[in-house]
Amino acid sequence: MDLLFKYSQISEDVSLQDDKVVLRRFKELEPIEDAWNKWLSTRKELDDAIPMLADPDPSMASLADEEVSALTETLSTFLQSTFPSLLLPPSPTAHLSALMELKSGVGGSEASLFLGDLLRMYQRLVNNNTMGMNWTASVVAQNDAEGGGVKDATVEFRGEGAYDALRWESGVHRVQRVPATETAGRTHTSTVAVVVLPLVEESSPHDGEEELFTMDEIKLEVMRSRGAGGQHVNKTESAVRLTHIPTGITVSMQDQRSQHQNRRLAFQVLRSRLLDIKLQREMEARRDTRRSLVKGADRSEKIRTYNYAQGRVTDHRIGLTLKNLHSVLEGDGLHAFIEAVGRSYKEGLLADMLEEKEK
Amino acid sequence: MFSRLLATLSSALGTPQALRELRWMQAAIDSRASQLSLADMVARRLQHEPLQYILGTQPFGPLNLLVRPPVLIPRPETEHWATVLAESLSPTAQKPISLLDLGTGSGCIPLLLCHLWPPGSVKAHAVDISPHALTLAQDNAALCGIPSQLDGSKKPQNTFTVFNSDFLAEDFPSPALRANSPFDVITSNPPYIPWKEYIELPPSVLDYEDRRALLAGSSGLDFYHAIARLVSHKNLLAPSAIVALEVGHNQACAVETIMRDTGCFRCTEIWTDPWGKQRTIIARK
Ligand SMILES: C[S@@+](CC[C@H](N)C(=O)[O-])C[C@H]1O[C@@H](n2cnc3c(N)ncnc32)[C@H](O)[C@@H]1O
Repeated sequence: MDLLFKYSQISEDVSLQDDKVVLRRFKELEPIEDAWNKWLSTRKELDDAIPMLADPDPSMASLADEEVSALTETLSTFLQSTFPSLLLPPSPTAHLSALMELKSGVGGSEASLFLGDLLRMYQRLVNNNTMGMNWTASVVAQNDAEGGGVKDATVEFRGEGAYDALRWESGVHRVQRVPATETAGRTHTSTVAVVVLPLVEESSPHDGEEELFTMDEIKLEVMRSRGAGGQHVNKTESAVRLTHIPTGITVSMQDQRSQHQNRRLAFQVLRSRLLDIKLQREMEARRDTRRSLVKGADRSEKIRTYNYAQGRVTDHRIGLTLKNLHSVLEGDGLHAFIEAVGRSYKEGLLADMLEEKEK
Repeated sequence: MFSRLLATLSSALGTPQALRELRWMQAAIDSRASQLSLADMVARRLQHEPLQYILGTQPFGPLNLLVRPPVLIPRPETEHWATVLAESLSPTAQKPISLLDLGTGSGCIPLLLCHLWPPGSVKAHAVDISPHALTLAQDNAALCGIPSQLDGSKKPQNTFTVFNSDFLAEDFPSPALRANSPFDVITSNPPYIPWKEYIELPPSVLDYEDRRALLAGSSGLDFYHAIARLVSHKNLLAPSAIVALEVGHNQACAVETIMRDTGCFRCTEIWTDPWGKQRTIIARK
């Protein structure tokens, strides 16, 4: 096969030159080779099993019969899902970590309490390693609400694939429940807006990718006045705000005691926002979400409802309702939604591709 | 319980600051950096004790320094100019420099420079009159992994040595310190608060930080005159030396004049801090 020939050529090239681009490409091709090898070996097993069907010993023949059906089953899975999904070009963002921003929306203090619940839900996803990805999660900024809960928060998910898996969590999450504080027992509706951004490491633009900004495009300011300042004042003062002049994006950070840290985190958020804009633009240029069910663009759209009275969670984009509210908020239930939405996105991509072909 | 602590702390600091400080306190407890309870911390904070003393640390650039009463807590203004100074000079292990810090306190200025400059590029010498400061500065040097002497290994290293001296004294510098002169860089954040302003200071400064770290006579300029005398009479400066001095909110012009009048310097400049105050006098030989 032509592909395998190229593949082995690459592996020779790698030994000659330690080229990151080649290595990345190399890694991207791995699943194809794996699938192809498995296909071949399954075919071989089937070829070996077929003659046994004619075995004079009836028990041997029936064993062979079982084996043949199982192998046929495996092969058809290859044809129906494994190979088609390999047709999809590898995700250009597969290596990225994610930065998640959560903001409480309508519903006042109840929205803040729900934001706290969502925050724990996402942390649990990582700490229980539900996705099997060994990510790490850390809250880089958090604004607590006076009445309990969290007004807004920024969480870093580090690890390969974190962005691709979590990006579809962007959108408005809605909760319907009776708040603990509600004496009349009425159900309230509150919302939290989630935005998931791609996270790039400091000063490590990927091979051939240009820097997202230059330092002279940045205005860096400290916040608040300090009176006489210097020896006269010993109040902690570590808040910073930076503005990216060309886009007008501003990021304020005051969560850390260290101004150095706040600055680093503010730059990280800025880099994520700029990369997000860039990716959105590239995606629109490729029009690859045009037909797909999961649209990436509109983050003000309501994507999911958590209904306490009925113990169910609904994802509005794919019309999936599961009666697993408790498991979503307290266990591993979120996984099912992340998987389903991701699958739906891939199917959409595939449909788009096939349609392009037909034109 | 948390909401009660929040309410009391908010009445002293305002809610946003109270929320942040409570989170920092909790983080110090969670990481076992502190043995205190949250309630104890809040009680001390309500007595105007600086958060930095309660938690025992203060970030300074990328460093996280120890702080202990009554040694002056490093200020963000100092952090800023010391960082800019680090970026504006580029000593190397091939051409190492000698540095003198007058009134070193926690050791923050020379330790940041030792941290930011390449290994083997600087020998820092830190002077203070307060034994508390000298002990703390040495603890901080150990924390930052900066030795006081080259350990004989071939590996290039920056060094940080403390000297217990009074830099106002006639016999300053001691022979031991002079042995390390001439200095390429002299830094100082000397006491600069005139007594009229001293008695008006907020309690978190007045009641907790060392008076000898802050108070500087009736004009606030005594230490700058002393430093001017030092640089003009004692032959401490290397040929193209640079002197960097932090000043109080309205002292920049006066201190710049004092430095100019020594006749030792080719040029002087004033650096402004991020809050818009003229904060640092730079004099170049
Ligand atoms: C304003 S504090 C600065 C501390 C530290 N450099 C900083 O920036 O945080 C001044 C320091 O000078 C020391 N000091 C005051 N008078 C001194 C003297 N006559 N000789 C030596 N050190 C003195 C004090 O003990 C104090 O540590």
